[in-house]
Amino acid sequence: MSTPDQTPSGAAAAASPASAASPDRAPAQLEFVDVVKRYPGASAATIESLSLDVPAGEILVLVGPSGCGKTTVMRMVNRMIEPSGGQILIDGEPNTTRPAAELRRDIGYVIQQTGLFPHRTIAENVATVPKLLGWPKARIADRTAELLELVGLDPEFAGRYPAQLSGGQRQRVGVARALAVDPPLMLMDEPFGAIDPITRERLQNEFLRLQETLKRTIVFVTHDIDEAIKMGDRIAVMRPGGHLAQYATPAELLLSPADEFVEQFVGADRALKRLALGRVRDLRLEETVRVRYGDPTAWVREQLRTSQVPYPLVVDADGRPLAWLDDDDLRGERVVEGVGSAVATVERDDILRDAFSDVLAHRVQFAAVVDGHGAVIGILSSDAVARELAPGPAPVEPVEAGAGPGTGS
Amino acid sequence: MSTPLAILGIFGDAIDFIFNAREARTGGAEVGGLGEFASLTGKHLLVTVAAVGLASLVALPLGLYLGHKRRGGFLAVSVSNVGRAVPSLVLIALFIAFLGVGFANVALALALLAIPPILTNAYVGVTQVDRDVIDAAVGQGLTDGQVMRQIELPLALPLIFGGLRTSVVNVIATATIAPIAGVVTLGDPIISQSVYGDAGKLAAAIVVALLAVVAEVGLGAAQRAVTPAPLRGTPGATRRGRFFVKTAGKGLSTS
Repeated sequence: MSTPDQTPSGAAAAASPASAASPDRAPAQLEFVDVVKRYPGASAATIESLSLDVPAGEILVLVGPSGCGKTTVMRMVNRMIEPSGGQILIDGEPNTTRPAAELRRDIGYVIQQTGLFPHRTIAENVATVPKLLGWPKARIADRTAELLELVGLDPEFAGRYPAQLSGGQRQRVGVARALAVDPPLMLMDEPFGAIDPITRERLQNEFLRLQETLKRTIVFVTHDIDEAIKMGDRIAVMRPGGHLAQYATPAELLLSPADEFVEQFVGADRALKRLALGRVRDLRLEETVRVRYGDPTAWVREQLRTSQVPYPLVVDADGRPLAWLDDDDLRGERVVEGVGSAVATVERDDILRDAFSDVLAHRVQFAAVVDGHGAVIGILSSDAVARELAPGPAPVEPVEAGAGPGTGS
Repeated sequence: MSTPLAILGIFGDAIDFIFNAREARTGGAEVGGLGEFASLTGKHLLVTVAAVGLASLVALPLGLYLGHKRRGGFLAVSVSNVGRAVPSLVLIALFIAFLGVGFANVALALALLAIPPILTNAYVGVTQVDRDVIDAAVGQGLTDGQVMRQIELPLALPLIFGGLRTSVVNVIATATIAPIAGVVTLGDPIISQSVYGDAGKLAAAIVVALLAVVAEVGLGAAQRAVTPAPLRGTPGATRRGRFFVKTAGKGLSTS
C-alpha cells in the first residue's frame, strides 16, 4: 500500500529544498467573528453567526451535507461572497481593508473543476498571480518550473494546454497555480472531488506531504467525512441552515460527537474511522519467539511459555518474517522447512486502518512489524488495535478462568 | 464578344460586360467595363466597411459587457430577432423618409442590419465561457477588466468573428439597394436595368456574389486564426466543416 506513493514521495522530497529557496512567508492565522450571511428575500440565514479560530499552519476542513453553507463560508474568506455581518480576520486584520482583487492574489484558490484557463499553457496558468503582481520574467519562469516539480509534474507539461491533461494532472496544475506566490492562506473547494478514487487518494497523500513542508493555513471544503478526517487538523461540521454543529480535531469528533446529527454524519463506523488517525508506531508492540527452520520443536515449545504471543515466528538469517507456526507445525522433532502460515507484515509508519485490515486478512491475527530493511522489530496484535480504539483506560489484566499459564496457547 | 465567352450565353455576355465598356441601352454614355466596376465595387466595399465598423463599435462592447455581467440576454436575443424580422429595404426606406439620402444614411441603415449578429454572437461568446474558469480567474485576483480582456475576450473571439462574418456577408448583399438612397454601389446596374441591360444586371450580381464568397472565406480563415490553438480541435475536420456546411448555409440565407 505504500508502493504507489513511492514516486510522489520522491518528488516531494526532492522538491523540498527548492521550496525552501522561495521567499518564506509565514502562514496566516484565520478567524471568523460572528459571521452571518443572509440573502435578501430569504427567510432563513445561509450562515448563522459563525465564529471559528484557525491557528496558523493548520488545515481547517469545512464538512457537511449539501446546502449547509460550507462553500459559502469558504468563499467569504476571499470575498467571492460578502458576508452580511461579522468579520473575517486574517492575521488579525479584517479582510475588507484591502481591495478584493488585491486580497485574492494573496490567497491561494483551488476549485473542484480546476478552472484552468483553456487558452493558456500550463506554465502560463501557473504564472497567473505572479504575472498579476508584475514579477520579472526570469523569476516567473524559475518559480513555474519549481512549482511543476513540487506538484510532481514533468517539466514537459509546461508548454501543453489544459485540454491535453488528465483530470488528476489538471488538479495538480490547479494546486501549483494556487501555490504560485506561496500564499499565507489557501482555499480549496472539494479539490479532489471530481477525481477517480485511486488518483484522489494519491493526490491527498501528496498534498499532505507537501503541507508538512509548506505549512500553509488552509480552508478545505468537502462533503466526504473520510476526506475530512484524513486531511483536517480541525474539522468544522456544518448542519443545513448554516449552523456549526461541532468544531473539533478529527479524534475528538470521532470519539465524542457533539450531537445526534454529528454522530449520524460521521457514521456508525466512527470507531473504525479512528483507525485512520493512528499509526502502527503509536501502539505498544509485543514480542514473540523467533525461530529458524530446523530448530528443535521442544526448545520452541519451551520458549513459548513466556511469550506474549502464542505463535512462534519463523525468520530468515536477516530477521525477515517467513511464517507463523501453530501446534500442528511443532509435532515433529524439528521445525520442518516450509511449514507454517503466511505472515502479515506492516511498517511502523503505516496507518492503523491499513495495518488492521492486513491482520484481518490472515489466518494468524498478529502482524509482524518490520523496519526499513524488512527485519522484524515487534508484533502487532488485533487486541492492541482494539484496545487503542476503546475509550478510557483499558483493563489492566483480563480475568482468567483457573490458573492457566501466563499466556494461553 | 470573344468566342470562348459566347459558349456561356448570357453569362458570357455578363462577364464581357465587366471587362469591356459598351454603349448604354438608353444610348449616349458608355456603361460597364473594368473602370466602372472598380469604382462601383470600391463604393460598395466602402459602405460595407463603414456599416460594419459602426455596428462593431456599438455591438461589440455592448455584447461583451452584457455577457460579462450575464445580464441582458433578453435584449441581446430580442435585438437579433427584431433585426432578422425587419426587411432591410424597409429600413432604408424609413431612413430616406426621415433623414434623407446620402452615404451616412445608408451606412447607418446597414449598420442597424449588421448589429444583431455581432451583438448576439459577442454576448453568447462571452456567456459560453466556462463559469468555473471565470470563478477561478476572479478567485486568483483578476479585476473585472482583466477578466474581460484576458479571459472572456480571447475565449469569445471565435464566436465574435462568426458574428462579424455573418454581418459582413449580409451587408455586402444588402448594399445592393443603396442606389435608391443615392449611393452608387454595385446595386446600380441591378436596379437600373433600363440603362445597363440584362448583361449589366447579371454582371453586377456576379461581382456581388464573388465579394460575399471572398468575405466569407477570408473571415472564416481569420476566425480560425484567432481561435486559441487548443480550442481548434482537429484542423482538418474544422476546415471541412466550416467550408462545406457553414458556407453553403450562409450562402443560401443571405442570397
